[in-house]
Amino acid sequence: MQNARDTFYVTLRDRLAAVNPARTIVLRGVTRPGVLVEENELASATVPVNAFCLRWTGLSVDALAALPLATMTCEISYATDGDSGNGGMDRGRLLSGMDAELVSAVSAAPQNVTKMNYVGAAGGSGLAPVAMGTNVFWGDAAFGAAVVNGERLERVATVVVFCYQEAGEL
Amino acid sequence: MSATVTAVSLVGAVAPVTRRVRAYFAPVNREAGAPTLFDASQMGTFALSSPPSPWMDLGWCSKFARKSASKIGALTTGAPAVVQSQVVTQVEATVELEFESWGKLQLALAAGSQQMNLLRTATGAAANGSGGVAAKAVPLVPGSTASSLSVGATAVAQFQVGELVAVDEDYVAQTGFVGSGVSAAYVSSPASVANDINYIRRVTLNVGRVVGIANGALQLGSALLAGAPPSGMQVSPLMGFVDREGGGFFQEWSGLFVMDGEQGDRVIYHYPRLQAMQGAAEMVETLAGPLEKVKLAGAFRALPVKDANDGETVLCFRSYLPGAMRAV
Repeated sequence: MQNARDTFYVTLRDRLAAVNPARTIVLRGVTRPGVLVEENELASATVPVNAFCLRWTGLSVDALAALPLATMTCEISYATDGDSGNGGMDRGRLLSGMDAELVSAVSAAPQNVTKMNYVGAAGGSGLAPVAMGTNVFWGDAAFGAAVVNGERLERVATVVVFCYQEAGEL
Repeated sequence: MSATVTAVSLVGAVAPVTRRVRAYFAPVNREAGAPTLFDASQMGTFALSSPPSPWMDLGWCSKFARKSASKIGALTTGAPAVVQSQVVTQVEATVELEFESWGKLQLALAAGSQQMNLLRTATGAAANGSGGVAAKAVPLVPGSTASSLSVGATAVAQFQVGELVAVDEDYVAQTGFVGSGVSAAYVSSPASVANDINYIRRVTLNVGRVVGIANGALQLGSALLAGAPPSGMQVSPLMGFVDREGGGFFQEWSGLFVMDGEQGDRVIYHYPRLQAMQGAAEMVETLAGPLEKVKLAGAFRALPVKDANDGETVLCFRSYLPGAMRAV
Protein backbone atom coordinates (compact mmCIF):
# COMPACT_ATOMS: atom_id res chain seq x y z
CA MET A 1 0.00 0.00 0.00
CA GLN A 2 2.85 2.37 0.74
CA ASN A 3 3.96 2.48 -2.86
CA ALA A 4 0.43 3.44 -3.86
CA ARG A 5 0.30 6.14 -1.20
CA ASP A 6 3.61 7.56 -2.33
CA THR A 7 2.50 7.44 -5.95
CA PHE A 8 -0.78 9.17 -5.25
CA TYR A 9 0.97 11.87 -3.25
CA VAL A 10 3.56 12.55 -5.94
CA THR A 11 0.89 12.60 -8.64
CA LEU A 12 -1.31 14.97 -6.70
CA ARG A 13 1.65 17.17 -5.79
CA ASP A 14 2.76 17.46 -9.40
CA ARG A 15 -0.74 18.15 -10.67
CA LEU A 16 -1.42 20.80 -8.03
CA ALA A 17 1.92 22.42 -8.76
CA ALA A 18 1.01 22.56 -12.43
CA VAL A 19 -2.40 24.07 -11.71
CA ASN A 20 -0.98 26.75 -9.43
CA PRO A 21 2.82 26.94 -9.35
CA ALA A 22 2.59 29.83 -6.92
CA ARG A 23 1.16 27.65 -4.17
CA THR A 24 4.28 26.75 -2.26
CA ILE A 25 5.17 26.05 1.33
CA VAL A 26 8.43 26.42 3.22
CA LEU A 27 9.07 23.24 5.16
CA ARG A 28 12.22 22.68 7.15
CA GLY A 29 13.79 25.52 5.26
CA VAL A 30 12.93 24.19 1.82
CA THR A 31 10.44 25.81 -0.51
CA ARG A 32 8.30 23.14 -2.19
CA PRO A 33 4.82 22.72 -3.67
CA GLY A 34 2.10 23.34 -1.11
CA VAL A 35 1.26 19.69 -0.55
CA LEU A 36 2.46 17.46 2.25
CA VAL A 37 1.69 14.11 3.80
CA GLU A 38 1.10 14.58 7.49
CA GLU A 39 2.65 11.26 8.58
CA ASN A 40 5.85 11.98 6.67
CA GLU A 41 6.54 15.24 8.49
CA LEU A 42 7.60 16.10 12.00
CA ALA A 43 4.78 15.96 14.47
CA SER A 44 3.48 19.46 14.92
CA ALA A 45 0.50 21.16 16.44
CA THR A 46 0.59 23.79 13.73
CA VAL A 47 -1.94 23.55 10.97
CA PRO A 48 -0.32 24.73 7.76
CA VAL A 49 -2.42 27.25 5.89
CA ASN A 50 -2.66 27.74 2.14
CA ALA A 51 -1.41 24.20 1.65
CA PHE A 52 -2.93 20.76 1.18
CA CYS A 53 -2.28 18.30 3.96
CA LEU A 54 -2.82 14.61 3.17
CA ARG A 55 -3.79 12.14 5.87
CA TRP A 56 -4.31 8.43 5.20
CA THR A 57 -7.22 7.09 7.18
CA GLY A 58 -9.41 4.17 6.09
CA LEU A 59 -8.13 0.92 4.63
CA SER A 60 -9.81 -2.25 3.44
CA VAL A 61 -8.50 -5.12 1.35
CA ASP A 62 -10.47 -7.41 -0.93
CA ALA A 63 -8.43 -10.57 -1.37
CA LEU A 64 -10.82 -12.47 -3.64
CA ALA A 65 -9.28 -11.59 -6.99
CA ALA A 66 -6.00 -12.59 -8.58
CA LEU A 67 -4.44 -9.61 -6.84
CA PRO A 68 -5.66 -8.18 -3.52
CA LEU A 69 -7.44 -4.89 -4.07
CA ALA A 70 -6.68 -2.28 -1.42
CA THR A 71 -9.10 0.58 -0.85
CA MET A 72 -7.62 3.51 1.03
CA THR A 73 -9.14 6.75 2.19
CA CYS A 74 -7.13 9.92 1.83
CA GLU A 75 -8.31 12.98 3.70
CA ILE A 76 -7.02 16.23 2.28
CA SER A 77 -7.37 19.14 4.66
CA TYR A 78 -6.66 22.74 3.79
CA ALA A 79 -7.21 26.09 5.36
CA THR A 80 -6.70 29.76 4.72
CA ASP A 81 -6.68 32.90 6.80
CA GLY A 82 -7.10 35.07 3.75
CA ASP A 83 -4.57 37.60 2.60
CA SER A 84 -3.32 39.94 5.28
CA GLY A 85 -3.17 42.76 2.78
CA ASN A 86 -6.89 42.42 2.39
CA GLY A 87 -7.52 42.06 6.07
CA GLY A 88 -8.43 38.40 5.55
CA MET A 89 -11.61 39.46 3.82
CA ASP A 90 -10.71 37.35 0.79
CA ARG A 91 -10.53 34.10 2.76
CA GLY A 92 -13.66 32.75 1.07
CA ARG A 93 -12.22 33.40 -2.35
CA LEU A 94 -8.92 31.79 -1.42
CA LEU A 95 -10.65 28.70 -0.06
CA SER A 96 -12.73 28.55 -3.22
CA GLY A 97 -9.52 28.74 -5.23
CA MET A 98 -8.07 25.80 -3.32
CA ASP A 99 -11.31 23.87 -3.91
CA ALA A 100 -10.95 24.45 -7.64
CA GLU A 101 -7.28 23.46 -7.65
CA LEU A 102 -8.13 20.21 -5.92
CA VAL A 103 -10.93 19.45 -8.35
CA SER A 104 -8.58 20.06 -11.27
CA ALA A 105 -5.89 17.85 -9.84
CA VAL A 106 -8.03 14.96 -8.66
CA SER A 107 -10.65 14.82 -11.40
CA ALA A 108 -8.40 15.41 -14.40
CA ALA A 109 -8.23 12.43 -16.73
CA PRO A 110 -6.72 9.98 -16.41
CA GLN A 111 -7.61 9.26 -12.82
CA ASN A 112 -4.99 6.56 -12.67
CA VAL A 113 -1.23 6.39 -12.81
CA THR A 114 1.41 3.68 -12.90
CA LYS A 115 2.34 2.66 -9.38
CA MET A 116 5.92 3.62 -8.56
CA ASN A 117 8.34 2.36 -5.99
CA TYR A 118 10.24 5.28 -4.48
CA VAL A 119 12.36 3.33 -2.02
CA GLY A 120 15.52 3.60 -4.03
CA ALA A 121 14.83 7.19 -4.95
CA ALA A 122 14.30 8.33 -1.38
CA GLY A 123 16.75 10.48 0.55
CA GLY A 124 18.19 12.26 -2.44
CA SER A 125 19.90 9.15 -3.79
CA GLY A 126 19.46 10.34 -7.34
CA LEU A 127 18.03 7.00 -8.37
CA ALA A 128 14.90 6.97 -10.43
CA PRO A 129 11.76 5.44 -8.98
CA VAL A 130 10.85 2.00 -10.29
CA ALA A 131 7.65 1.55 -12.28
CA MET A 132 5.55 -1.33 -11.07
CA GLY A 133 3.10 -3.55 -12.91
CA THR A 134 -0.24 -2.11 -11.86
CA ASN A 135 -1.92 1.27 -11.68
CA VAL A 136 -3.12 3.31 -8.76
CA PHE A 137 -6.56 4.77 -9.41
CA TRP A 138 -8.95 6.96 -7.51
CA GLY A 139 -12.42 8.48 -7.43
CA ASP A 140 -13.51 12.10 -7.34
CA ALA A 141 -12.99 14.26 -4.29
CA ALA A 142 -15.87 14.46 -1.81
CA PHE A 143 -15.84 17.85 -0.15
CA GLY A 144 -16.82 18.37 3.46
CA ALA A 145 -18.39 21.53 4.76
CA ALA A 146 -16.28 24.66 5.11
CA VAL A 147 -15.60 25.17 8.80
CA VAL A 148 -15.10 28.59 10.34
CA ASN A 149 -12.37 28.49 12.95
CA GLY A 150 -11.94 32.02 14.20
CA GLU A 151 -10.75 34.00 11.19
CA ARG A 152 -9.72 30.81 9.48
CA LEU A 153 -11.68 28.84 6.91
CA GLU A 154 -10.98 25.11 6.76
CA ARG A 155 -12.20 22.23 4.69
CA VAL A 156 -11.53 18.52 4.46
CA ALA A 157 -11.96 16.68 1.17
CA THR A 158 -11.87 12.92 0.89
CA VAL A 159 -10.57 10.84 -1.99
CA VAL A 160 -10.82 7.06 -2.14
CA VAL A 161 -7.67 5.58 -3.63
CA PHE A 162 -7.38 2.03 -4.96
CA CYS A 163 -4.41 -0.19 -5.71
CA TYR A 164 -3.59 -3.80 -6.27
CA GLN A 165 -1.04 -5.49 -4.07
CA GLU A 166 1.48 -7.05 -6.36
CA ALA A 167 3.31 -10.27 -5.63
CA GLY A 168 6.02 -9.66 -3.03
CA GLU A 169 4.93 -6.13 -2.29
CA LEU A 170 4.52 -5.15 1.34
CA MET B 1 8.49 4.40 2.15
CA SER B 2 8.02 0.70 1.46
CA ALA B 3 10.79 -1.72 2.30
CA THR B 4 10.14 -3.79 -0.80
CA VAL B 5 11.40 -3.20 -4.31
CA THR B 6 9.37 -5.00 -6.95
CA ALA B 7 10.55 -5.47 -10.48
CA VAL B 8 8.02 -5.53 -13.29
CA SER B 9 6.87 -9.01 -14.14
CA LEU B 10 3.68 -10.66 -15.25
CA VAL B 11 0.88 -9.57 -12.96
CA GLY B 12 -2.40 -11.26 -12.25
CA ALA B 13 -5.38 -10.67 -14.49
CA VAL B 14 -8.06 -8.85 -12.55
CA ALA B 15 -11.56 -7.86 -13.51
CA PRO B 16 -11.66 -4.57 -15.40
CA VAL B 17 -12.46 -1.60 -13.20
CA THR B 18 -14.08 1.18 -15.16
CA ARG B 19 -15.99 4.34 -14.35
CA ARG B 20 -17.95 5.21 -17.47
CA VAL B 21 -18.67 4.43 -21.10
CA ARG B 22 -17.79 6.48 -24.13
CA ALA B 23 -20.04 6.13 -27.15
CA TYR B 24 -19.30 6.62 -30.84
CA PHE B 25 -21.29 6.21 -33.97
CA ALA B 26 -20.64 5.88 -37.67
CA PRO B 27 -22.96 5.89 -40.63
CA VAL B 28 -24.39 2.85 -42.31
CA ASN B 29 -24.67 2.99 -46.07
CA ARG B 30 -28.35 2.21 -46.27
CA GLU B 31 -28.44 1.87 -50.03
CA ALA B 32 -25.71 -0.72 -50.04
CA GLY B 33 -26.56 -2.17 -46.65
CA ALA B 34 -22.95 -1.68 -45.61
CA PRO B 35 -22.18 -0.79 -41.99
CA THR B 36 -18.99 0.83 -40.75
CA LEU B 37 -16.83 -1.95 -39.34
CA PHE B 38 -14.46 -1.36 -36.46
CA ASP B 39 -11.35 -3.49 -36.35
CA ALA B 40 -10.17 -3.52 -32.76
CA SER B 41 -6.92 -5.17 -33.80
CA GLN B 42 -6.04 -2.13 -35.87
CA MET B 43 -7.79 0.75 -34.14
CA GLY B 44 -8.66 -0.52 -30.68
CA THR B 45 -6.20 1.66 -28.79
CA PHE B 46 -7.38 5.00 -30.13
CA ALA B 47 -7.48 8.01 -27.82
CA LEU B 48 -11.04 8.41 -26.59
CA SER B 49 -11.19 12.06 -27.56
CA SER B 50 -10.06 11.43 -31.14
CA PRO B 51 -11.76 8.38 -32.62
CA PRO B 52 -10.61 7.08 -35.98
CA SER B 53 -12.54 8.30 -39.00
CA PRO B 54 -15.44 7.97 -39.71
CA TRP B 55 -16.41 7.33 -36.09
CA MET B 56 -17.94 10.31 -34.32
CA ASP B 57 -17.87 11.01 -30.63
CA LEU B 58 -21.18 10.96 -28.77
CA GLY B 59 -19.60 11.64 -25.40
CA TRP B 60 -19.97 9.88 -22.09
CA CYS B 61 -22.90 7.64 -21.31
CA SER B 62 -24.31 6.23 -18.14
CA LYS B 63 -26.44 3.23 -17.28
CA PHE B 64 -25.05 1.33 -20.22
CA ALA B 65 -26.71 -2.06 -20.34
CA ARG B 66 -26.33 -4.60 -23.07
CA LYS B 67 -28.67 -7.53 -23.06
CA SER B 68 -28.51 -10.72 -25.00
CA ALA B 69 -31.87 -12.12 -25.96
CA SER B 70 -30.29 -14.97 -27.87
CA LYS B 71 -31.73 -18.33 -27.03
CA ILE B 72 -30.12 -21.70 -26.98
CA GLY B 73 -32.38 -24.70 -27.12
CA ALA B 74 -31.87 -28.38 -26.54
CA LEU B 75 -32.22 -30.85 -29.38
CA THR B 76 -33.69 -34.00 -27.96
CA THR B 77 -34.29 -37.41 -29.47
CA GLY B 78 -35.58 -40.72 -28.27
CA ALA B 79 -38.13 -41.79 -25.73
CA PRO B 80 -37.58 -40.74 -23.13
CA ALA B 81 -36.18 -37.65 -24.80
CA VAL B 82 -32.53 -37.08 -24.13
CA VAL B 83 -30.61 -33.99 -24.99
CA GLN B 84 -28.31 -34.88 -27.83
CA SER B 85 -27.04 -31.45 -28.72
CA GLN B 86 -27.75 -27.78 -28.46
CA VAL B 87 -28.94 -25.40 -31.11
CA VAL B 88 -29.16 -21.62 -31.33
CA THR B 89 -32.84 -20.92 -31.78
CA GLN B 90 -32.79 -17.14 -31.74
CA VAL B 91 -30.14 -14.44 -31.98
CA GLU B 92 -31.04 -11.04 -30.61
CA ALA B 93 -29.28 -8.29 -28.69
CA THR B 94 -30.26 -4.89 -27.33
CA VAL B 95 -28.40 -1.96 -25.83
CA GLU B 96 -29.69 0.69 -23.45
CA LEU B 97 -27.95 3.80 -22.22
CA GLU B 98 -28.39 7.39 -21.19
CA PHE B 99 -26.44 10.11 -22.95
CA GLU B 100 -24.69 12.58 -20.68
CA SER B 101 -24.84 15.28 -23.35
CA TRP B 102 -27.44 16.59 -25.76
CA GLY B 103 -26.63 17.27 -29.36
CA LYS B 104 -27.94 16.60 -32.82
CA LEU B 105 -26.33 13.18 -33.02
CA GLN B 106 -27.48 12.06 -29.58
CA LEU B 107 -30.99 13.27 -30.32
CA ALA B 108 -30.97 11.52 -33.66
CA LEU B 109 -29.89 8.21 -32.19
CA ALA B 110 -32.47 8.37 -29.45
CA ALA B 111 -35.31 9.71 -31.59
CA GLY B 112 -36.70 6.43 -32.81
CA SER B 113 -37.53 7.88 -36.21
CA GLN B 114 -36.55 10.94 -38.25
CA GLN B 115 -34.71 13.61 -36.26
CA MET B 116 -35.66 16.85 -37.96
CA ASN B 117 -34.31 20.36 -38.07
CA LEU B 118 -36.50 23.32 -37.15
CA LEU B 119 -35.64 25.36 -40.21
CA ARG B 120 -36.22 29.09 -40.06
CA THR B 121 -39.65 29.58 -41.56
CA ALA B 122 -40.70 31.83 -44.38
CA THR B 123 -42.47 35.00 -43.41
CA GLY B 124 -46.10 34.27 -42.69
CA ALA B 125 -45.70 30.50 -42.81
CA ALA B 126 -48.54 28.54 -41.26
CA ALA B 127 -47.73 26.83 -37.99
CA ASN B 128 -46.70 23.18 -38.19
CA GLY B 129 -45.50 20.75 -35.54
CA SER B 130 -42.18 19.97 -37.18
CA GLY B 131 -41.73 23.48 -38.53
CA GLY B 132 -43.61 25.46 -41.14
CA VAL B 133 -42.59 26.16 -44.71
CA ALA B 134 -38.93 27.04 -44.60
CA ALA B 135 -37.37 30.29 -45.68
CA LYS B 136 -35.45 30.31 -48.92
CA ALA B 137 -32.11 28.58 -48.55
CA VAL B 138 -28.81 30.20 -49.43
CA PRO B 139 -26.72 28.53 -52.16
CA LEU B 140 -23.07 27.77 -51.60
CA VAL B 141 -20.48 29.28 -53.90
CA PRO B 142 -17.19 27.58 -54.82
CA GLY B 143 -14.57 27.36 -52.09
CA SER B 144 -16.48 25.72 -49.28
CA THR B 145 -14.87 23.18 -47.01
CA ALA B 146 -16.21 20.94 -44.25
CA SER B 147 -15.86 23.75 -41.73
CA SER B 148 -16.14 26.86 -43.90
CA LEU B 149 -19.21 27.60 -46.00
CA SER B 150 -18.73 30.14 -48.75
CA VAL B 151 -21.98 31.91 -49.48
CA GLY B 152 -20.71 35.18 -50.93
CA ALA B 153 -20.36 38.68 -49.61
CA THR B 154 -24.02 39.58 -50.09
CA ALA B 155 -25.69 36.46 -48.74
CA VAL B 156 -23.41 36.27 -45.73
CA ALA B 157 -25.24 39.26 -44.26
CA GLN B 158 -28.25 37.01 -43.70
CA PHE B 159 -26.38 35.02 -41.07
CA GLN B 160 -25.21 35.74 -37.56
CA VAL B 161 -22.52 34.25 -35.42
CA GLY B 162 -24.06 31.65 -33.15
CA GLU B 163 -26.67 30.43 -35.62
CA LEU B 164 -27.22 26.80 -36.45
CA VAL B 165 -27.30 25.82 -40.11
CA ALA B 166 -28.27 22.77 -42.12
CA VAL B 167 -26.31 22.04 -45.27
CA ASP B 168 -27.62 19.66 -47.88
CA GLU B 169 -28.93 19.33 -51.38
CA ASP B 170 -32.33 20.43 -52.62
CA TYR B 171 -35.15 17.98 -52.75
CA VAL B 172 -35.95 17.47 -56.40
CA ALA B 173 -38.11 14.36 -56.52
CA GLN B 174 -35.55 11.96 -55.08
CA THR B 175 -36.95 8.75 -53.65
CA GLY B 176 -35.28 6.37 -51.25
CA PHE B 177 -32.84 7.28 -48.53
CA VAL B 178 -31.95 10.96 -48.35
CA GLY B 179 -29.45 12.96 -46.34
CA SER B 180 -25.75 13.59 -46.84
CA GLY B 181 -23.31 11.65 -44.70
CA VAL B 182 -26.02 9.72 -42.89
CA SER B 183 -29.32 8.54 -44.30
CA ALA B 184 -31.71 10.70 -42.36
CA ALA B 185 -35.05 9.65 -43.83
CA TYR B 186 -36.68 7.53 -46.49
CA VAL B 187 -38.84 9.22 -49.10
CA SER B 188 -41.35 7.00 -50.81
CA SER B 189 -42.62 9.60 -53.27
CA PRO B 190 -42.31 13.32 -53.94
CA ALA B 191 -45.93 13.77 -53.00
CA SER B 192 -45.32 12.33 -49.55
CA VAL B 193 -43.02 15.23 -48.74
CA ALA B 194 -45.10 17.76 -50.66
CA ASN B 195 -42.23 18.27 -53.09
CA ASP B 196 -40.65 20.47 -50.43
CA ILE B 197 -37.34 21.75 -51.82
CA ASN B 198 -36.06 22.01 -48.24
CA TYR B 199 -37.09 18.50 -47.15
CA ILE B 200 -33.59 17.04 -47.16
CA ARG B 201 -32.25 19.99 -45.17
CA ARG B 202 -35.19 19.48 -42.84
CA VAL B 203 -34.03 15.96 -41.96
CA THR B 204 -30.30 16.06 -42.58
CA LEU B 205 -27.74 15.36 -39.87
CA ASN B 206 -25.30 17.54 -41.78
CA VAL B 207 -25.58 20.52 -39.45
CA GLY B 208 -23.18 22.98 -37.85
CA ARG B 209 -22.88 26.07 -35.67
CA VAL B 210 -21.61 29.35 -37.13
CA VAL B 211 -18.77 30.58 -34.95
CA GLY B 212 -17.38 33.24 -37.25
CA ILE B 213 -18.17 35.17 -40.40
CA ALA B 214 -15.47 36.53 -42.63
CA ASN B 215 -14.80 37.13 -46.31
CA GLY B 216 -18.18 35.89 -47.43
CA ALA B 217 -17.85 32.59 -45.59
CA LEU B 218 -19.44 31.05 -42.51
CA GLN B 219 -16.91 29.43 -40.20
CA LEU B 220 -18.34 26.43 -38.40
CA GLY B 221 -17.45 25.27 -34.92
CA SER B 222 -16.83 21.74 -36.13
CA ALA B 223 -16.57 19.97 -39.45
CA LEU B 224 -19.71 18.89 -41.22
CA LEU B 225 -20.52 15.24 -40.85
CA ALA B 226 -20.61 14.75 -44.64
CA GLY B 227 -17.35 16.58 -45.26
CA ALA B 228 -16.79 19.32 -47.80
CA PRO B 229 -20.14 20.14 -49.44
CA PRO B 230 -20.27 19.72 -53.21
CA SER B 231 -21.64 22.44 -55.42
CA GLY B 232 -25.40 22.55 -55.53
CA MET B 233 -25.88 22.29 -51.81
CA GLN B 234 -27.63 25.08 -49.96
CA VAL B 235 -27.60 26.39 -46.42
CA SER B 236 -30.66 26.88 -44.23
CA PRO B 237 -30.58 28.53 -40.83
CA LEU B 238 -32.34 26.51 -38.15
CA MET B 239 -33.60 27.15 -34.67
CA GLY B 240 -33.16 23.71 -33.15
CA PHE B 241 -34.26 20.13 -33.52
CA VAL B 242 -37.52 18.23 -33.36
CA ASP B 243 -38.50 14.60 -33.36
CA ARG B 244 -41.88 13.00 -33.25
CA GLU B 245 -43.64 10.20 -31.52
CA GLY B 246 -44.70 8.12 -34.44
CA GLY B 247 -43.27 7.70 -37.89
CA GLY B 248 -42.20 4.53 -39.53
CA PHE B 249 -38.59 5.24 -40.46
CA PHE B 250 -35.86 3.37 -38.64
CA GLN B 251 -32.56 5.14 -38.56
CA GLU B 252 -29.57 2.86 -38.51
CA TRP B 253 -25.99 3.40 -37.39
CA SER B 254 -22.89 1.52 -36.46
CA GLY B 255 -22.27 1.85 -32.74
CA LEU B 256 -19.16 1.60 -30.65
CA PHE B 257 -18.99 1.66 -26.87
CA VAL B 258 -15.68 1.80 -25.05
CA MET B 259 -14.91 1.18 -21.39
CA ASP B 260 -11.40 2.11 -20.33
CA GLY B 261 -10.15 0.06 -17.41
CA GLU B 262 -8.08 1.64 -14.68
CA GLN B 263 -5.30 -0.90 -15.24
CA GLY B 264 -4.75 0.08 -18.86
CA ASP B 265 -7.18 -2.51 -20.16
CA ARG B 266 -10.04 -1.72 -22.51
CA VAL B 267 -13.37 -3.31 -23.33
CA ILE B 268 -14.96 -2.44 -26.68
CA TYR B 269 -18.47 -3.29 -27.80
CA HIS B 270 -18.97 -2.92 -31.53
CA TYR B 271 -22.47 -3.16 -32.92
CA PRO B 272 -22.21 -2.83 -36.72
CA ARG B 273 -25.94 -2.22 -37.12
CA LEU B 274 -28.09 -0.55 -34.49
CA GLN B 275 -31.63 0.73 -34.78
CA ALA B 276 -33.61 2.56 -32.14
CA MET B 277 -36.23 0.31 -30.61
CA GLN B 278 -38.20 2.89 -28.68
CA GLY B 279 -39.54 6.37 -29.23
CA ALA B 280 -37.89 9.46 -27.84
CA ALA B 281 -37.57 9.23 -24.07
CA GLU B 282 -35.78 11.03 -21.29
CA MET B 283 -34.63 10.07 -17.83
CA VAL B 284 -34.75 12.64 -15.08
CA GLU B 285 -32.07 12.78 -12.46
CA THR B 286 -32.68 14.95 -9.43
CA LEU B 287 -29.86 17.34 -8.64
CA ALA B 288 -31.13 19.28 -5.64
CA GLY B 289 -34.43 20.79 -4.71
CA PRO B 290 -36.45 21.38 -7.86
CA LEU B 291 -33.45 21.06 -10.14
CA GLU B 292 -33.36 18.00 -12.35
CA LYS B 293 -30.97 16.86 -15.02
CA VAL B 294 -32.71 15.50 -18.11
CA LYS B 295 -30.81 12.82 -19.96
CA LEU B 296 -31.62 11.33 -23.33
CA ALA B 297 -32.49 7.69 -22.99
CA GLY B 298 -31.71 5.40 -25.85
CA ALA B 299 -32.64 1.79 -26.44
CA PHE B 300 -31.37 0.03 -29.52
CA ARG B 301 -31.74 -3.32 -31.20
CA ALA B 302 -28.79 -4.85 -32.99
CA LEU B 303 -29.16 -6.20 -36.51
CA PRO B 304 -26.92 -8.86 -37.98
CA VAL B 305 -23.87 -8.80 -40.18
CA LYS B 306 -21.75 -11.58 -41.61
CA ASP B 307 -18.29 -11.99 -40.15
CA ALA B 308 -15.96 -12.16 -43.13
CA ASN B 309 -13.68 -14.56 -41.28
CA ASP B 310 -16.12 -17.43 -41.14
CA GLY B 311 -19.48 -16.29 -42.42
CA GLU B 312 -21.16 -16.46 -39.03
CA THR B 313 -24.15 -14.20 -38.39
CA VAL B 314 -23.17 -11.74 -35.67
CA LEU B 315 -24.83 -8.89 -33.81
CA CYS B 316 -22.03 -7.59 -31.62
CA PHE B 317 -18.29 -7.90 -31.30
CA ARG B 318 -16.91 -7.60 -27.76
CA SER B 319 -13.18 -6.99 -27.73
CA TYR B 320 -10.91 -7.03 -24.70
CA LEU B 321 -7.49 -5.45 -24.85
CA PRO B 322 -5.62 -6.44 -21.68
CA GLY B 323 -3.32 -4.03 -19.93
CA ALA B 324 0.43 -4.42 -20.33
CA MET B 325 2.07 -7.43 -18.72
CA ARG B 326 -1.20 -8.97 -17.57
CA ALA B 327 -1.57 -12.71 -17.33
CA VAL B 328 -3.94 -14.00 -19.97
